Amino acid sequence: KTQVMVWNFKDRMLNFNTPPLKNTTAEPVWKVLIYDRFGQDIISPLLSVKELRDMGITLHLLLHSDRDPIPDVPAIYFVMPTEENIDRICQDLRNQLYESYYLNFISAISRSKLEDIASAALAANAVNQVTKVFDQYLNFITLEDDMFVLCNQNKEQISYHAINKPDIMDTDMEVIMDTIVDSLFCFFVTLGAVPIIRCPRGNAAEMVAVKLDKKLRENLRDARNSLFTGDTMGAGQFSFQRPLFVLADRNLDLATPLHHTWTYQALIHDVLDFHLNRVTLEESLGSEAGARPKKKTKKSYDLTAADQFWQKHKGSPFPEVAESVQEELDKYRAQEDEVKRLKSIMGLEGEDEGAISMLSDNTAKLTSAVSSLPELLEKKRLIDLHTNVATAVLDHIKSRKLDVYFEYEEKLMSKSTLDKSLLDIITDPDAGTPEDKMRLFLIFYITAQQPPSEGDLEQYKKALIDAGCDLSPLNYIKQWKAFTKMATTPANYGNSGVKPMGLFSRVMNTGSQFVMEGVKNLVLKQHNLPVTRILDNLMDMKSNPVSYFCPSFEIQDTIHSSIPRNKNPFQEAIVFVVGGGNYIEYQNLVDYTKAKQGKRVMYGCSELFSAAQFMKQVLFTLYRLHYFSLPLGTFLTHSKICKVKIKITSNL
Amino acid sequence: MNTRRRHGPRSSQEGVYTGPSQTQFQLAPPLETPRAIPPVDNSGMSCRDRTSEFQSVCKSLQGRQNGAHAVKPVHTAVRQRSDFTLMAKRIGRDLSNTFAKLEKLTILAKRKSLFDDKAVEIDELTYIVKQDINNLNKQIAELQTLVRFRNSPNSRHLQTHSNTIVVSLQSKLASMSSDFKAVLEVRTENLKQQRSRQEQFSQSAASTTSFHNSSLSNSVLMQDDSKKADISIDMDLRSSQQMQLINEKDSYIQDRANTMQNIESTIVELGSIFQQLAHMVKEQEETVQRIDSNVEDTQLTWTSLMPKSSSTSSRSPTTAGCLSNLPNPIIFFFVFVLFMS
Repeated sequence: KTQVMVWNFKDRMLNFNTPPLKNTTAEPVWKVLIYDRFGQDIISPLLSVKELRDMGITLHLLLHSDRDPIPDVPAIYFVMPTEENIDRICQDLRNQLYESYYLNFISAISRSKLEDIASAALAANAVNQVTKVFDQYLNFITLEDDMFVLCNQNKEQISYHAINKPDIMDTDMEVIMDTIVDSLFCFFVTLGAVPIIRCPRGNAAEMVAVKLDKKLRENLRDARNSLFTGDTMGAGQFSFQRPLFVLADRNLDLATPLHHTWTYQALIHDVLDFHLNRVTLEESLGSEAGARPKKKTKKSYDLTAADQFWQKHKGSPFPEVAESVQEELDKYRAQEDEVKRLKSIMGLEGEDEGAISMLSDNTAKLTSAVSSLPELLEKKRLIDLHTNVATAVLDHIKSRKLDVYFEYEEKLMSKSTLDKSLLDIITDPDAGTPEDKMRLFLIFYITAQQPPSEGDLEQYKKALIDAGCDLSPLNYIKQWKAFTKMATTPANYGNSGVKPMGLFSRVMNTGSQFVMEGVKNLVLKQHNLPVTRILDNLMDMKSNPVSYFCPSFEIQDTIHSSIPRNKNPFQEAIVFVVGGGNYIEYQNLVDYTKAKQGKRVMYGCSELFSAAQFMKQVLFTLYRLHYFSLPLGTFLTHSKICKVKIKITSNL
Repeated sequence: MNTRRRHGPRSSQEGVYTGPSQTQFQLAPPLETPRAIPPVDNSGMSCRDRTSEFQSVCKSLQGRQNGAHAVKPVHTAVRQRSDFTLMAKRIGRDLSNTFAKLEKLTILAKRKSLFDDKAVEIDELTYIVKQDINNLNKQIAELQTLVRFRNSPNSRHLQTHSNTIVVSLQSKLASMSSDFKAVLEVRTENLKQQRSRQEQFSQSAASTTSFHNSSLSNSVLMQDDSKKADISIDMDLRSSQQMQLINEKDSYIQDRANTMQNIESTIVELGSIFQQLAHMVKEQEETVQRIDSNVEDTQLTWTSLMPKSSSTSSRSPTTAGCLSNLPNPIIFFFVFVLFMS
């Protein structure tokens, strides 16, 4: 949880892991923060530069950069205990860069590496300067209060492709599993709770579960040195009941990663460049004049917990977001006018009695206006931010007709009647990019009860190729469907559909920023995606869970079996998808949790990908299947393969 | 004693976290002396303190190396601190002392009792705090010139570090000044209320004395024959008492007026402090960012960074330019101050 992590940072590490002294008369202490890229990814969604400065950190630097000596300042390191990082730390010690060193390792450092540092410190006569060494167990990235991702820097290592490629070697798999398990272990240590693990059989998720169970047991075995003492349990501030940990594998549901979406945060992730809570837009400046090309600048916006509009609306359907931005803008303008009015009144040179008495009243108003000015400016900044972002999203929606895709896919997934044929959408040149069409078709293929007939399939394929699609993901999906034997019982995506509420043309007033003409005003009805359904069944301990895919769950207890199994429904759960996840799944879980009183659910995945990124991974998987003799580099350099028309003969 | 090195799985790629550490497993190898397993930090925090382990490792390594080479002189933990740091820390200490005084003043100024008005103490404390703030302002300005003077090209990090410290001190001073201003405003309010109550009170007193006067004058006239001397003295007493009362009222009013003037002038001085702060904040970098927002910058070459930093520091805005750059709150503050005076 974000709160736990921020608390960890502030009160612990950045204050040198000493309990905060309650004194305002102490000397201020200034420090320097040094991190590697892992540390940077962990810290940056949580703490802004200002917050770091408030804690006394004057400089924040990357470990592997040129750093000047600042000899009278203590330095706090926050790095992974890798060979390279340890070498650099030893080098810093030898070069006497700082006054004292507080080493914090993101995951536990091995004894041998500790000895390396010790010998370097001895050689540099700096042993006394290494003031503290800590294992922080923070090897995961918290993006939201209830959402985390494993890592960002080396996510290719534990990507969907890496886990599912057919020519994977056992040693590689071991490494991947160990990486995932280490992060999950850190997560539970930080949470302060030992979970009860549930997982399906026979895939990567099960491997993770087995390893994690083993690691937790080993840690608990030595009660004196366990990381899960009573104190940390208390700090976890949860009920006495242990949380449920559901490990799911991406392969149980491949439609959700490809799905088009309609909620704000998920849309931003799908159509814009959204990464670690930061969205980057390309804004073009410059006039249209002549042959001069438009200059495009990149502008980044951070979407943080302090942004109330974002917190309120990140799960809202897009039309609601557009309306709300408009409302906020109107409210802001009213407040701005009020301040302007006061300003003009202040300009009165009043001999007028009435004016003078008004003035004294207005002094109080002005004082409050002055003090509320920073608030007002901040509000303006956020409104501008959301106006820009929502406009960019709306542009995508309109040009690609994403509302049409969303509606159709929802109908496909919920097996409602379709009002137009798939072929119509595919052959429509105005609707969507080739990628969109491919996504739609794949969802159709995945959710179909019966695979389409040969003739139909050929027709679809031809239409797709004509529209410029790359058909290679289709072969992978075919394989996948065969392997997981989902042909007989496809995952049930819920019974509800989407209710269109007519076109937008008259809903918004003319002064609105958002011209949503022609865009459907779609209202979502809550339905549960496969992962949510699994969670629902497990949390409520339903005696006859409808098994959607695998017939049995393996139940793993992480405490001695003498302790009776939990009979009550779980109040708290963590869902983790091995192989990757996305904001659609996350939002679905959030909506589910809101409907259930008193339950808390957290979502995690090994990586976050948008539909485009997922398709690319699937593409690689396929290519490696056929062309694994070629070096991987040749595939990494391309970005055009997806756009080149390739005629692949189906050989399955 | 040979230490057995335990290797985790390694990958060929550098900088990649390769696998879990072995430290969780408490399998002490028989050849090593049993070491104290570092306890978990029991103050409710989910981390493990390896400091004692580290120190014991150092000791054991040192023991082995002792014969190998001469022991170098040990550096003390507290190194020779630069002038800058010493000065900065001193300013920080003074800031917190002044803050304590300000808190005391706040408590005093909030009292609303009419009779136990510790006017003298409040005025004294106000004066002291004002002096302190001015001193601190000067000290911080000195610190800033020290930083500028010491602009050596090789230490851009040191420069940033020093600038950040100066700005943080300045902003602490500014927030303390605004608190001080708030306290003065509260005090002014209270004085106004006291004055109005005092007026009410003294008006009724004046009416009773005039009544007494008239009655006295009657009796004086009646007693005119008997005691002329006494009467005149009595009259004098009465009138002198009345005079005294008026004088008291006058001086009281005068005192209050003086205090109000002092407060106003203080606020104006504070305004200059705010101005300086705004100046410095503009020179500093933007702080709304996150730590990874300069990733592109860090990848720039060193040389391309140099002209960038020198250009920002060489831009020394004039007062007019500075005023135009001031954020709106400061403008409004000035308007407010002008109105007050």
